[in-house]
Amino acid sequence: MPRELISFDGVTRRVFITSSIISGTILVLMPQYSISPIDIKPFKIIQAIQDVLFPKGLEAPSALEFGATNYLLRVSSHSSFVEFDLKFLIYGTNLLIEEERDFLSMNAIDKDKALKNFISKSQKNKNWLSLLLYYTIEALLSDPIYGGNRDELGWRWLGHHSGKPKPQKPFGEIV
Amino acid sequence: MIYDVCIIGSGVGGSGVAYTLAMSGKKVVVLERGLFYREKDFSKDEIAYCKRDIITPNLKESYHTIESLEDEKWIKTATYDSENSFFNGNVVGGSSNFMSGYFHRFKPNDFRLKSTYPEIKGANIMDWVIDYSELEPYYEKVERLVGISGEVTPHKYHEPRSTPNFPYPPLDEHPISKLIDKSCHKLGFIPYKTPRAIISKPKDKRDNCYYSNYCGSYGCSSGAKGSARVSLLEPALKSGNLTIITSAFVKKLEEKNKKVTKAIYIDTQTLKEHYIKAKIFVVANQAVESCRLLLNSKSLNFPNGLANNSNQVGKNILFSAGGVGSGGFDFNSMPIDELMKEGLFVNRSLCDWYEIDGVKGGIIDLLFEHANPISKAIKERWQDGELIWGEKLQDKIFYKFTKTRRVNFEIFNDWLPNDNCFVSVDDKYRDIYGVPVANIRIGSHPHNLKIANILAQKAKKLLIEMGAKDINISISPYPPSNLQAGGCRFGDNPQTSVLNKYCQTHEIKNLFVTDGSFMPTGGSLPYTWTIYANSFRVGEYILNI
Repeated sequence: MPRELISFDGVTRRVFITSSIISGTILVLMPQYSISPIDIKPFKIIQAIQDVLFPKGLEAPSALEFGATNYLLRVSSHSSFVEFDLKFLIYGTNLLIEEERDFLSMNAIDKDKALKNFISKSQKNKNWLSLLLYYTIEALLSDPIYGGNRDELGWRWLGHHSGKPKPQKPFGEIV
Repeated sequence: MIYDVCIIGSGVGGSGVAYTLAMSGKKVVVLERGLFYREKDFSKDEIAYCKRDIITPNLKESYHTIESLEDEKWIKTATYDSENSFFNGNVVGGSSNFMSGYFHRFKPNDFRLKSTYPEIKGANIMDWVIDYSELEPYYEKVERLVGISGEVTPHKYHEPRSTPNFPYPPLDEHPISKLIDKSCHKLGFIPYKTPRAIISKPKDKRDNCYYSNYCGSYGCSSGAKGSARVSLLEPALKSGNLTIITSAFVKKLEEKNKKVTKAIYIDTQTLKEHYIKAKIFVVANQAVESCRLLLNSKSLNFPNGLANNSNQVGKNILFSAGGVGSGGFDFNSMPIDELMKEGLFVNRSLCDWYEIDGVKGGIIDLLFEHANPISKAIKERWQDGELIWGEKLQDKIFYKFTKTRRVNFEIFNDWLPNDNCFVSVDDKYRDIYGVPVANIRIGSHPHNLKIANILAQKAKKLLIEMGAKDINISISPYPPSNLQAGGCRFGDNPQTSVLNKYCQTHEIKNLFVTDGSFMPTGGSLPYTWTIYANSFRVGEYILNI
């Protein structure tokens, strides 16, 4: 598969818009987030994993619905994101695919089994999935300004009232 | 321009000095490493204020090294690896913008630990060189100017007051406070109404509390919280005598003929170096960073750092000992709609064990688990040590948010000063500006844990009486990073202390340190109120020099 890159100009302050990996949506990236190109291939796999971690429930929104992967792609480009976490997330994702080559074509039950099998092999694998769950939950319940919790689906599901005022700008930028 | 006074750090320790002097006509400049956030800039954004380094330096920019004891060896770790930052609220007003505002005065015996209680081997305890009565007028001043709400609880350990009541009535309380009171009475405990540095009525341009449900860790959008910025610096700015320079990281103080002449700072936006000249310099950077600045300011007269010819700077650093715990409540404890009421305060403490069998004890503060949804949900991904996901995780999160609420307790007891708790600098570890970072050796005295465990059992007893389920307790020798003191003790003897009783260095007469660094012992309480009070006291002294 061709290597897909997201890159953008880090000098100008204009908003950069590119097609999202999630069809039918637009991912908005602000250039000040990063000047490094991001390989989105692992994010496609991450999206498939996140939908196993947080599937559509009777009332619970799915990771796809609340925008878990969009969120991760956006916040991981910001300077405040721990560099190690991004590297570790991608490393673990690539390792999973090396060991479970058919993962993307599996049904939900087999994907779940594959994940259980993968984390049973080492503490490192378990830590990787724990970290991905961490950021999936961040996406579920953070302010929608970051690209997750779309339409406040996470908050509405839990009857959670967000604090007021809500942020006008991300990452605590001065208004 | 030569200012009358240059203050390094705009938090609680510097703001009382800045306010006192600027309001009296002195020309004051404050150098603050961070930016100037005002009410309009703050929001309840958990990602920005609780999950990322936004209001503290990015750990790639600056960090600390922490030495902790592992298998009887001191192991050094950089905080960019551990991600446990020891910076706190680097904005105008400092960490007071983000405090919960649990305000307690020190008790008279906190000023004389050495002469009141039995000696504890391995603890470098000394009495303060002032007593409670000298600080009392300034505690009262903080109540009025910063704004403290509450109601005096008659208690054998209550400190003497020069006024009968707090200037602001108590904040509205959650129904669970009644359950706490009832349970305390059953057990023979005294429920102590916690004073808060949050105003319940408007004051000048500050609005009263609007019960946002997101108080601690967040800046206040109404100005009700008594941050150094809103309560002291913004009013002082109106005098026309105060200048605040932001994004100013002070790397060194220059000294000549045993006088500080310049503060050299880097503008963190432009990376250009500047300096400020003043007649008097006041360091108030929070204890760890204040020690770092003095230790990095070496000169011919002070080869080990300013005011450090007795090698006392950085020694006997203090944190708050103690721990935390919590218990779960559901519809069995009280009607679910009452339990789930948001925004109202618990405002209860337990002070009954401020002394335990003739030795110093501590206090217990009670509060609800923070409303932060991410922090609440993230813990749920673990069950019996195993990761869970899918429907199992979703059900667990849903139950947690809709059917239960946890009451937390926080224990505060004395962190005993000792030879293995200090700040130093090491040329090998530098920030991006090339300045050596602070190394913090964190040696916890075993007595800290002993007292904390006794207090935890008292808190547990109360939670059981209240009907709590799933009680957990976490007592650790590792301290929270937000309560820092010591490192530049005040005292009469220049060989064993850095500062005199007015927080003026023994060796350099135009240099003062006014954050919590002056404290030889840190009490069994959060010490913000005491730092505010002392800052006013020193400000008055400087005014009269």
